[in-house]
Amino acid sequence: MRPEVPFTLLLVSLAMVCIPSSHAEEIDFASQIQPILAKRCYACHGPDDQQGGLRFDQRDSLIVEADSGQVAISPGKPDHSEMLKRISSTDDSIRMPPEGKPLSTSDVAALTAWIENGANYTKHWAFQPIARPTPPTIEHSASAQQPLDLFVLQKLEKAKLAWVGEANAATLVRRAYLDVTGLPPSPEELSDWTSRWTASTYEQMIDQLLSNPSFGDRWARMWLDVVRYAESNSFERDNPKPNAWRYRDYVIRAFNSDKPYNQFIREQIAGDELDEVTPETLIATGYYRLGLWDDEPADPLQARFDEYDDIVTTTSQAMLALTVNCARCHDHKIDPISQRDYYAMVALVRDVTSYADRSDQTSNNQLDIDAEAGKAHEEVDAKLKSLQKKLRKMEQEAIVKMPAPDQRATEGENREKVLREKLREFMDESSWHEYSEMKSEQKQALATKKSLPERFAALGLAKVDTKPPTTYVLLRGSPHNEGPQVDPAFPGLLGGGSPQLKAPAEEAKSAGRRRALGEWIASDENWLTARVIVNRIWLHYFGRGIVRSPNNFGLMGDQPTHPELLDFLATELIQSGWSLKHIHRQILLSSTYRRSSANNEQSAAVDPNNNLFWRQNLKRLSAEQVRDGVLHTSGELNLEQFGNPIYPTLSAEVLASQSQPGRNWEKSTPAEQARRSVYIHVKRSLPVPMLSVFDFPETDTSCEARFLTVQPGQALTLLNSQWMQEQADHLLQRVEREVGKDLRKQATRCLELVSSQSANSADVEELVSLVDRLKTKQSMPEPLARRNMALVALNLNQFIYID
Amino acid sequence: MNNQQPSGTFCRRVRREFLWQSGAGFGAVALSSLLGKDFFQNANAASTNDAAAALKQPHFAPKAKSVIFLFMYGGPSHIDTFDYKPNMVGMDGKSIAVKTFGRGGHRNEGRIVEPRWKFKQYGQCGKWVSELFPNLAERVDDIAFLHSMTADSPIHGSAMLMMNSGKILSGSPALGSWVNYGLGSVNENLPGFVVMLDPTGGPISGAKNWSAGYMPATYQGTVLRSKGTPLLDLSTPDGVTRSAQREMLDSLASMNARHAGDRPGHSDLNSRIASYELAFRMQEHAPEAVDLSGEDTNTLEMYGVGNPKTDDFGRRCMIARRLVERGVRCIQLYSGGAHNDDNWDAHGDLEVNHNKHAGATDKPIAALLQDLKQRGLLDSTLVVWGGEFGRQPTAEYAKGSGRDHNSYGFTMWMAGGGIKGGVSVGTTDELGAAAVERPLHVKNLHATILNQLGLDPNRLSYFYSGLDQKLVGVEHIEPITEII
Repeated sequence: MRPEVPFTLLLVSLAMVCIPSSHAEEIDFASQIQPILAKRCYACHGPDDQQGGLRFDQRDSLIVEADSGQVAISPGKPDHSEMLKRISSTDDSIRMPPEGKPLSTSDVAALTAWIENGANYTKHWAFQPIARPTPPTIEHSASAQQPLDLFVLQKLEKAKLAWVGEANAATLVRRAYLDVTGLPPSPEELSDWTSRWTASTYEQMIDQLLSNPSFGDRWARMWLDVVRYAESNSFERDNPKPNAWRYRDYVIRAFNSDKPYNQFIREQIAGDELDEVTPETLIATGYYRLGLWDDEPADPLQARFDEYDDIVTTTSQAMLALTVNCARCHDHKIDPISQRDYYAMVALVRDVTSYADRSDQTSNNQLDIDAEAGKAHEEVDAKLKSLQKKLRKMEQEAIVKMPAPDQRATEGENREKVLREKLREFMDESSWHEYSEMKSEQKQALATKKSLPERFAALGLAKVDTKPPTTYVLLRGSPHNEGPQVDPAFPGLLGGGSPQLKAPAEEAKSAGRRRALGEWIASDENWLTARVIVNRIWLHYFGRGIVRSPNNFGLMGDQPTHPELLDFLATELIQSGWSLKHIHRQILLSSTYRRSSANNEQSAAVDPNNNLFWRQNLKRLSAEQVRDGVLHTSGELNLEQFGNPIYPTLSAEVLASQSQPGRNWEKSTPAEQARRSVYIHVKRSLPVPMLSVFDFPETDTSCEARFLTVQPGQALTLLNSQWMQEQADHLLQRVEREVGKDLRKQATRCLELVSSQSANSADVEELVSLVDRLKTKQSMPEPLARRNMALVALNLNQFIYID
Repeated sequence: MNNQQPSGTFCRRVRREFLWQSGAGFGAVALSSLLGKDFFQNANAASTNDAAAALKQPHFAPKAKSVIFLFMYGGPSHIDTFDYKPNMVGMDGKSIAVKTFGRGGHRNEGRIVEPRWKFKQYGQCGKWVSELFPNLAERVDDIAFLHSMTADSPIHGSAMLMMNSGKILSGSPALGSWVNYGLGSVNENLPGFVVMLDPTGGPISGAKNWSAGYMPATYQGTVLRSKGTPLLDLSTPDGVTRSAQREMLDSLASMNARHAGDRPGHSDLNSRIASYELAFRMQEHAPEAVDLSGEDTNTLEMYGVGNPKTDDFGRRCMIARRLVERGVRCIQLYSGGAHNDDNWDAHGDLEVNHNKHAGATDKPIAALLQDLKQRGLLDSTLVVWGGEFGRQPTAEYAKGSGRDHNSYGFTMWMAGGGIKGGVSVGTTDELGAAAVERPLHVKNLHATILNQLGLDPNRLSYFYSGLDQKLVGVEHIEPITEII
């Protein structure tokens, strides 16, 4: 890593402090100037067209004499810059741009100031190497628990803002449990921690939580969202993807075992090409098989390139936060990504075969995890097939000599009977001998097959194209319109370069290109990979990323609110050997994370969006946290991990939205249905209402961050759904087991369970009064009234929000 | 909504979609659009109030406030309904060279199945309509026929997605999601995008057809049932009366208010409290919207309610009108569901299939147009009719009258909402095999719908995956100017 902080990075950081300040004259090229140029100038003077010899996406042609003899931009001399004259002219015949409204006065002012400052084309923050920033020295460093806090404090100090206080122990315990494991603490766990709360207790708790297997159940979902994980193909039939769940389990295990993130990437991109190929790395290639697949495309060639596009789009956004996909039809209008870059990346994954063929929906995507067993099965199968062919031929030769009724009978289910009784009659001696020998061989082979270990398969790259076809730029994105040839290469804006590719050996199973791609993405030198993943982790602890657009670090994305903090965490990740848990731990132990979510009116007035992290954000539970939390509270949660997906019971009206109601939605036992949400079958055309109403994402494309809506459908689900009545019933039974029949005690216990904390007495009285009102005013039977008390507890904001 | 370009944005990018990550959270914004100004003025959330107002601002003065999309799932045959092909009479059984592409793949010749129904002229405009639609034919002077429609796929799965979301791949928001994203909802008590399915089942791909794609779930279509409980989880559980639930909500509200009171400055907490009141009101208003007991007998008869053949679609058309009256932005009705002859997909016996589906819908649709007109609602309600594609002029199999899919040319029609009546746009060739004059794409249809609702199809955009996504795609698309 380079030691010094690049000048441009400092510039970006200054420009990003969102406070009304005296820095207004500082002009940031990437965020303030380039967008104007891109929007108003590029169309005629840009990557596609250079009228008058000018292109505004680069500096060179602007500062020298153009075709007109004028100089568009004279750095430091606005008065001598023809561009400014043209854009501010009131004469329609010379004003630029010729179409649309003239540039606004604020745009003209920004361009003028920029030219005055030297008209520098500074590089975008994300498109340069990561430098290790030194944590700043600041006045009030005492409140910092972790180096990362210093970066946050520095910005707060500049803005003359202070942190709100640290959250109390109970809040921190509940927050950390939900953030790390996705499950709330039981009231007993919470009070156990808080009763012995010292400086080291918190750290102990965090270490314990990070080693809890539930960590994987919670955090795998983060990655599954990003890689658009689903277990069916979409389109008319939306058939299941066999064994997709092994990929899901792979992710859970990878996170729990803290598999180095660079290895995690390499395995998904090229698990079949590594030096050490294991069942695990093969399962990881399921990554390529998670997307949409149309088994009946109107334009098969187009559909093929839609598959490549899906892989390029997902890979570039998920791992690099680049919208390379924008360059499918033309050069990216804003980011320096050319159409060649896009197709060079297609070329890198060109050996990936289509998901399947309509007539054979498994060969390309189902691979043997146990290669030995798979090979043994294949051998026996081949033998059986050839024997069967020969036997059949001999049988047919005999059959044609049989009487017609027997011939006819051999076309149906009585074939074996006819053969048993009559075949010998119609065969000569030597044929019969040969036939019998083959028959016994067949019998033997069948016995061998039976004795083999079970052949178990995973979703993944079962077949790849060892000699991929040449890749061409496709003009306007159409595969029917090939342009110039492109070789596999990495995007130019990241230093680019062509992979060192050797011609694959004769016996090679793949083209070797993906391995190069995986190595490049997972390299310590990659400018984006580490930044992107630490930002995703940060997002889930604070409700927003340091960069608010986690899939887009390009010019159209948001700027980081704390660029140095982002780079600090990225270098921490790399230096730790790509340990994600190291990053989790640093964040969890930070003072920034431990802030209270309480409001402070003065700070809110200055920084209403909490750009500076002067407090922790209040977070609504995710869809999984709501469902799993309800099960946890009711005492029904089944923590069993891994394996085949589970199918919650869906009501007839939900299934009626299918063209064949109930198709491919299996039945799970009640105990299975009480497992965590990450194990629920993800069927693209049949969203599970309990999850989708709480913003479980559409799974067709990468989801960078979920919406957190508040809408009446959620209230209807939590109040009226059959599942919630059952859970309320379980909760009531649980509290009765735990505290007996006394109403006040039951109400208290319900409240403790939903909040993990001791109950507020006013709330207890409210629930007691509710049961009373339901009985007396509404003539509701006591058991139902109490169940409804439990139901109300599960609807409380104290359950749904994390302080 | 994207017409105001705040400084610092470009390519019409609006950052509203990122609000979920900001302090206010998306919930407050989405909900404010449902609740209107009053609630948020009370709740002192001026900033989200502004966002709500912006959500409701169309690009220009709208002609239509609502759209009813009558989706003839499976693909009705245009040459047997509205695309009159007199030259085909007498050609039945003849082999002819014609390029077709359907379920059976690409073919270069086929056996002609001549139109199986007689045509007659109707209305001032003298439009030729087949016997399949005797009632609807009486409304031709209100209708603009689009005879030269084309789509990108002749396969149900991708063609359905195209008609509903403008793309042949799943994952993009449906038309109804775009409309609600662009205009917001005017009735807080009902969903803004309602889908009513055929009693035989959903269309293939189910919920993908009304998904909000990459937009928040707030904009996705809600399935509304014409019988029983109209919305999922709308009715209170057994043994819980409405007044009992009120007691529960009162307790919940008082406890949640105490919780929020301890946490000032978190508007999401208040939004969630309000969402329960909204849910409670929905439980009253949604059943009322689908309750036809207050409709007079003449109107019921007009829609064909009570007649087994037309009862179901008649009820749904009537409910569609009631939803329009209550401010629902987009209502989609499926004629046909499930597979094979349960919908318009007439591969086997064309006559049996189309007699059944036209018979079930002709009278209700005519009544819907007439009823909207007599109530003065047709001017502000856009009605769209059609399937995901049309059907071929030739036979699919060696025997029989079944026709394969045809996306090279087919007919759709629009009425109301500022659409000119009694006009026909575009033509297909003399067999109806492909569009020849003024070919129209599904995108032109979508552009026209948005345009009539006051939304510029080339400006209504949503930033996702690095691009300003639009219902009509990246290239400039014109609405169908001849009919507006």
